[in-house]
Amino acid sequence: MASYIVRRLGYMLITLVFVTVVGFFIIELPPGSYLEFHIQSLRQQGGDVTPDQIAALERRYGLGDPVHVRFYKWISGFPRGDFGQSFQHQRPVGELIWSRLGYTLLISVLTLIISWGIAIVVGVYSATHRYTIPDYLITVLQFIGLAIPNFLLALVMMIVLQQTFGMRVGVLYSREFRDAPFSIAKLLDLASNLWVPIVILGVAGTAWTSRVMRANLLDVLNMQYVQTARAKGVYEPKVIWKHAVRNALHPLVMTLGLALPGIISGEVIVSTVLNLPTSGPLFFQALIQQDMYLAGTFLVFFAVALLIGNLLADIMLAWLDPRITYR
Amino acid sequence: MTDITVEKIAAEAGEEISTVGEIPQSKLIWMRFSRNKLALVGGVGLIIMYIIVALGPFIASNHFRNQNQDYLYGPPTPVTFRGADGRLGLRPYTYEYITRLDQESFKFVFDFDRDTRLPLEFFVRGDEYELLGFIESNVHLVGVQGEQRFYPLGTDALGRDVFARLLVGGQVSLTVGLVGVALTIILGSVMGTISGYFGGAVDDVMQRVIELILSFPTVPLWAALAAALPPISRSFTAIHRFFLITVILSLVNWTGLARQLRGKVMGYAESDFVMAALAVGASDARIIFVHMMPNASSHIIVVAALAIPGMILGETALSFLGLGILPPAVSWGSMLTQAQAVPVVIEHPWLMTPGIAVVLAVLFYSFLGDALRDAADPYSI
Amino acid sequence: MTDQVSVQETDAGQQVEQPSAQGNIVEVRDLHTYFYTDLGVARALNGVTYNIPREKVLGIVGESGCGKSVTALSIMNLVQPPGKIVSGEVVLHRVGAKGANTEVVLTDLGRHSTQMRRIRGNEIAMIFQEPMTSLNPVYTIGDQISEAFILHQGVNKDEARRRSILILDRVGMPYADTVVDQYPHQLSGGMRQRAMIALGLSCAPSLLIADEPTTALDVTTEAQILDVMRGLQSDIGMSIMFITHDLGVIAQMADEVVVMYLGRVAEQAPVDSIFYDPLHPYTRALLRSIPHVGEGTKERLKPIRGVVPNPYSNISGCPFHPRCDEFMPDVCDVNVPGITMTEDGRAVRCFLYSDRVEKNG
Repeated sequence: MASYIVRRLGYMLITLVFVTVVGFFIIELPPGSYLEFHIQSLRQQGGDVTPDQIAALERRYGLGDPVHVRFYKWISGFPRGDFGQSFQHQRPVGELIWSRLGYTLLISVLTLIISWGIAIVVGVYSATHRYTIPDYLITVLQFIGLAIPNFLLALVMMIVLQQTFGMRVGVLYSREFRDAPFSIAKLLDLASNLWVPIVILGVAGTAWTSRVMRANLLDVLNMQYVQTARAKGVYEPKVIWKHAVRNALHPLVMTLGLALPGIISGEVIVSTVLNLPTSGPLFFQALIQQDMYLAGTFLVFFAVALLIGNLLADIMLAWLDPRITYR
Repeated sequence: MTDITVEKIAAEAGEEISTVGEIPQSKLIWMRFSRNKLALVGGVGLIIMYIIVALGPFIASNHFRNQNQDYLYGPPTPVTFRGADGRLGLRPYTYEYITRLDQESFKFVFDFDRDTRLPLEFFVRGDEYELLGFIESNVHLVGVQGEQRFYPLGTDALGRDVFARLLVGGQVSLTVGLVGVALTIILGSVMGTISGYFGGAVDDVMQRVIELILSFPTVPLWAALAAALPPISRSFTAIHRFFLITVILSLVNWTGLARQLRGKVMGYAESDFVMAALAVGASDARIIFVHMMPNASSHIIVVAALAIPGMILGETALSFLGLGILPPAVSWGSMLTQAQAVPVVIEHPWLMTPGIAVVLAVLFYSFLGDALRDAADPYSI
Repeated sequence: MTDQVSVQETDAGQQVEQPSAQGNIVEVRDLHTYFYTDLGVARALNGVTYNIPREKVLGIVGESGCGKSVTALSIMNLVQPPGKIVSGEVVLHRVGAKGANTEVVLTDLGRHSTQMRRIRGNEIAMIFQEPMTSLNPVYTIGDQISEAFILHQGVNKDEARRRSILILDRVGMPYADTVVDQYPHQLSGGMRQRAMIALGLSCAPSLLIADEPTTALDVTTEAQILDVMRGLQSDIGMSIMFITHDLGVIAQMADEVVVMYLGRVAEQAPVDSIFYDPLHPYTRALLRSIPHVGEGTKERLKPIRGVVPNPYSNISGCPFHPRCDEFMPDVCDVNVPGITMTEDGRAVRCFLYSDRVEKNG
């Protein structure tokens, strides 16, 4: 098992190298030099940029260098935590992204756990009550949940919460806790604000996962070993939960690798709409402003999160299914 | 023995099977599909949507770019069938509006004078437009004669007809899915088939590329690529941008289809009918296009149908964030950018109507895709 | 109609005590099991009547799709939706202490009822066709056998594990104490089927239903498995209902044989009678279609004409008449033959032997 994880980590590292290549490619992609854009924006802000400064900036980003040297300069800073400079914010990218990435991951992981918990129960219910009225009702809700774009849902939620409940959305902490040190009260305050993006994000995920769960379980329920369990005299709920569900979870965990990008994508959009201090707003702003080191670094870190997620999914799969050998 | 006889024998065998009480697979698929009521709803709903959208400039009373400076954020014009005499009739009327400055908010508000009725007329002449790209006309389905305009869904911040924009925007949003899926199918089936059929190093490279693409979350990747597109200019028109946006959307989507087809093709490569074709000396191309593709076609169709909603949602999200379809073009997503601020939406809820359109379109496509998937697996209970 | 078989069998002067209770462990009476699918109603069982004799092996033969497996599931009350037992009954005869017999109508018990669950795996056990898929891939062999012990004998985990090893040993599983901790995918097909048999026999059932237990195995393994089953059957003194489409296996295993065709029993008879004096034209046709050693090697095998009609079709009259060599126009295609009891106690459904007509056919 340990050597399997080590080998998987090795593969991950290789993929990571290619991920940074793609990230750099995207940084280089916008037409025109980002430095020009930067200098222009510096001038717009009223500051005067001296030729010395320009030369310094050019040196720093090696504009005169060939592509591979620039790439090397960018990634060689990674171990030191140097991901380049954000032109727009005039600060190192590293400083800007950590806390925001953290909240993005927190929201994403919480959403994943909660939506899976609900989805499994709902999926099992509708698979075992196929063609009943509640099953049809669940199916309708699933279709609707999948059809509503999450940014639209975020807008609607914002309106409803503000109009009917007078709730302030778009914050993670209430004003009094924003700069307070960590405490239980602060955590509760976070929870009281965090549920909004989690619900918005969770709707589509829950709808999708419960549909997958329903289909998987229906497949598994046709398997001979389920009949074997029944023929043994096992209590029907136990047949479902012990013998069928565990096998039905298997393909679901395999789709974890697909669910995670969806949730991170969703988080980025939803937090932009809600204007939460997570990756979303900063990332899109960076793209629109062509603040490419910031955007590219975000992209690389999203990919890292997905790679780790996939690794965890594989480990979970191995734990769930004894047939998987750690080759 | 030539190819022809092999196929003839197969065809005869197939015929015999169908006469002795078994139902051929294609018929089973169609039977199951046509019995699905949701599929019917989805199919009919989509046909209606596409027709309305295609005839949009004619159905809407105004040109979608026309700005009415006197009617900014104007509410939907009410319609009544009650005549001046207070009796219900067949002729629809609307009321004249009165602009008034609200003393508290210092904003212009619009009141409708319930006493002055303006008859709504059919086939009235109005703004010039071009239908389906070649029919030039100025006849609109309904409208009001004279100064006042008819806005069934109100106007936006610039005083443009929301209904007209909804229909024209629908042309973009509903086409993105189709064009994107066409690209997805082409890319996905070519790559998947090559990867599965030839295997080896080709397959390895292809799989690593797919893994790499899949290791990025979709929306941020789309957004990053879309952000790199040049701004709209004379040489890079809105059409160019639209096309490149769909290319970007299908750039991620093809990987799924390619992977599934690869698996299918690898399975077929072992199967008896491919062995038989190889034995009679059929070429690679013949095996792929004559023997494998028809077998995989139902699968391709299902994957394609299920991918369309994702494309539509992707375009909408990108445009909403200002990275997709840009002015002067309109799409449902770009219309919704105006609805980003809560106070604006609360005061002018009609700005959210494109959202309803998106949900409907996606819902109809999911009904269709789901029914296709269920039907393509005709031996399940 | 319901207890026609047993009543016919006995002479009028017999005792009040149910004669069938001594002879049969399970009686299946006019059982109808239908499947309500999208394509229509499939009448998998269309009035099935037969008896499973106590402490004997009943073989059930028939082509695929004739309802063999559905009968088994119907006895276990395990027919899953969209399938449903529509009418008829399955009666289990229990022999209590001092010869006090009780009978339980299994079809009256709920599919998920506690009573039914206590019977399943305990009094009646079942082995399925596919050893590859009939064991749960995510639990060890020991876990799966122990579950039955814990459920029906109320023992703790350690004791259940000990008993599992014993029973595995008893079915001839090599290295039983290792296998007990292995997962199904680590075993060969033959070993899995042994494990399944061990699971089936764990609580010493009075009836073991084996649904084509050896079809998926190679000939050598098949012989071993059949040996094990036969040996255990006489050791434990249980009945076996052995479902197969292989007449060779029937000859080897069965004491009595039920021949099924399209959801109905064609005939039930002792094994020797089936092979040497088949009554039903379908049984005869079946026997003609298998090769015989010795006699007339030049003779061609005679396959049965046509194919089994699909279960959705509604054939008028005797379901076998379109393929029957002894088809009598205006008789066989009009009415469904009822069950005729011969003098030596065999049951056959054919107009060649009487004019008895199925009432609700």
